[in-house]
Amino acid sequence: MIGNDVIDIIQSRHESNWQRKGFMQKIFTPNEQLMISKAPDPEITVWLFWSMKEAAYKIYNRQTKRREFIPKKLVCSIVSQDDNSIIGKVNCDQNVYHTKTILLHESIHTLAVNSLDDLKNVMEIENKNIIKDSNGIPYLCNFLSNTLQDVSISHHGRFQKVVTLDLK
Amino acid sequence: MKKEELIAQLKVIIKPYTTNTEAFDNLTEDTDFINDLSINSANLVDIVLDIEETFNIIIEDTDMQRMLDVKTAVEIIETKLSEK
Repeated sequence: MIGNDVIDIIQSRHESNWQRKGFMQKIFTPNEQLMISKAPDPEITVWLFWSMKEAAYKIYNRQTKRREFIPKKLVCSIVSQDDNSIIGKVNCDQNVYHTKTILLHESIHTLAVNSLDDLKNVMEIENKNIIKDSNGIPYLCNFLSNTLQDVSISHHGRFQKVVTLDLK
Repeated sequence: MKKEELIAQLKVIIKPYTTNTEAFDNLTEDTDFINDLSINSANLVDIVLDIEETFNIIIEDTDMQRMLDVKTAVEIIETKLSEK
């Protein structure tokens, strides 16, 4: 399964005040709050964790069909990091989701998958031939094979990302 | 507090976070914050915080978890107010 989340940093500055009293406590675990406060760039770390949670939630929602606002139950950890890409994990109950986040100048984009190997199979596609089921979960119609494939759509500000798993 | 009054106060809270004015103008108990009002999920936190401040109540995580539509929000606020 697949999930993704893109954040337009400029848009987030217009929409959200992450320094607002109580904001961090509602969405981040004490450990995440500590990591944010110690990070060289707390703002980017806030949105990095948020996009990891959102991307992982899209798989959780597809798996469980549960619609819930559970930011603190989606627990983020960082596995490795280089210049602009971050490999991480999000735990939710017994589920583990593997994430890869690309940090660019004005955007943060996280991919989430069930198994680490799948990260290399993620493919960006156009937003077409996509239908949603009664739970609002999107699928890509493949008319050649007459099958439905998991797809994840994220849109924020100037950015839109549509991703699927290329399993051939 | 009457339910209509409560919904009216809730509308004032929600307004700055919605981009869908038509759905906002036609808001009912069945209106969904994300699907109908196109509210960004990070702004759901702001709505929860604004509700806490406006009604002087505390919304637990287990309540926030369900707070995705007007009906549930009203129900949670009513319960919290009655416990005061």
